[in-house]
Amino acid sequence: MNKSLKEVVPIPHIYIRGNILEKGNMLGVAGDKAAWAKDLNLPRNAEFTFFAGCGYQFMRYVEGMMKAAASMEKIGLGMERSIGISKVFGKIGINLPSITAKVTAAGKEDTYTIILVSAARILQKLGVDIGYMYEDEPCCGSPLYYSGFLDDYIENANKNFEVFKSLGIQRLIGLIPACTASLRDYYPKYVEGYDLEVYHFIEVVAQRLKETNIKPKLKEKLTIAYHDPCQLSRYLEIVDAPREVMASIKGLELREPDPEQCKQWSTCCGGGGLEAGSPELCERLGLRRVEELLNTGANVIVSHCPACVMQLKRSTEKMKADVNVMDLVEILDEALG
Amino acid sequence: MKTDNTQETDSIKEMETEILNNIQTCINCRMCVPMCPTYEGWITQSAFGRLAAINLHLKYGLGSIEELSRLIFSCANCRRCQERCKMLSTNVTPTDTIIKTRQLLARKAQEWGRN
Repeated sequence: MNKSLKEVVPIPHIYIRGNILEKGNMLGVAGDKAAWAKDLNLPRNAEFTFFAGCGYQFMRYVEGMMKAAASMEKIGLGMERSIGISKVFGKIGINLPSITAKVTAAGKEDTYTIILVSAARILQKLGVDIGYMYEDEPCCGSPLYYSGFLDDYIENANKNFEVFKSLGIQRLIGLIPACTASLRDYYPKYVEGYDLEVYHFIEVVAQRLKETNIKPKLKEKLTIAYHDPCQLSRYLEIVDAPREVMASIKGLELREPDPEQCKQWSTCCGGGGLEAGSPELCERLGLRRVEELLNTGANVIVSHCPACVMQLKRSTEKMKADVNVMDLVEILDEALG
Repeated sequence: MKTDNTQETDSIKEMETEILNNIQTCINCRMCVPMCPTYEGWITQSAFGRLAAINLHLKYGLGSIEELSRLIFSCANCRRCQERCKMLSTNVTPTDTIIKTRQLLARKAQEWGRN
């Protein structure tokens, strides 16, 4: 009757848990977390603190690792076996995922961390006083919650609240929808006295665009289809703000898919949690979603979540579709000049 | 030591009650089925099917725990089903209940590992 953890939780999820608890990020990649911000001179203390999260910082490694995992699958080594092998290396002191990730990501233009720089720059251009915690920024721990490790999640959340308090942080602006939902909606349930105000980047941007006279404008006209990330539209319930921002950008035409496939009914692209345990199912979901978005006739697919952007990119590549996948941040940064 | 174990068992019981109570409010309308992005023809690839499997397993011990785990970990946590329930004004929160069941299974396994 009694089963071990491995039998009830898919192994990749257990592996991610180990990485968060031991290394402080999902992938267990050792590296300078704050490197992206080195040229921005963001203060440590400000009215709002920018919460960069793990997603954009480590996404290029995920891309590399997923490709490596896919090729291992081709030669007959499944995800679980590959993880088993990397664990053996780990025991003798070699961090295989870190090496694989660095090798596969080497020489490739990093299209993800640049989004963090753009996001911080956009907030500055709109006159929002932001600071950054640099290497003190913790992992919000949300994968622990979705993988079933509630006790670890609660412990991590309480530890993080102490860190925020000790640094005098009161207001956070999150960029990654999953981190923001975790900090805004789950932390208050599990952390006593939790009183941080948490906003999502796009809400703040929409608000500031209304208050100021700034008119974003694109040099070339773009016809886009917007994919609402699940965590943004249904967890955080933010569907109007990104549309207000897009409507304010001159030269941008938004084409919506069927009403049953957008806003709070947006079809899931399969990115995020599903990738770890069911890669094949995740791939089918991605292809189906891209098809829905392409039916709008748009030539650029835009989303606002690192997991969605990566998944949609992978799916369009797989379909060999002549379409670009971008983050809303990239478009906005360009439009603000 | 014994007190600790009793406490943990209580927390497992509480979680089970919470999960089952939430499933009881389902009106079996199956509107969530076409909402699920993982649905490819089998009812267990939907919130309705997953909740039914959780209910049968927790209440009557039907189906193996490994099979249940496979079903609930194939959910994308996208909450599209939950949005449908909300619109229909039922109190079911399928996605949250599926996630809670993952937490229950993990906690059970961790407890078995300790004993």
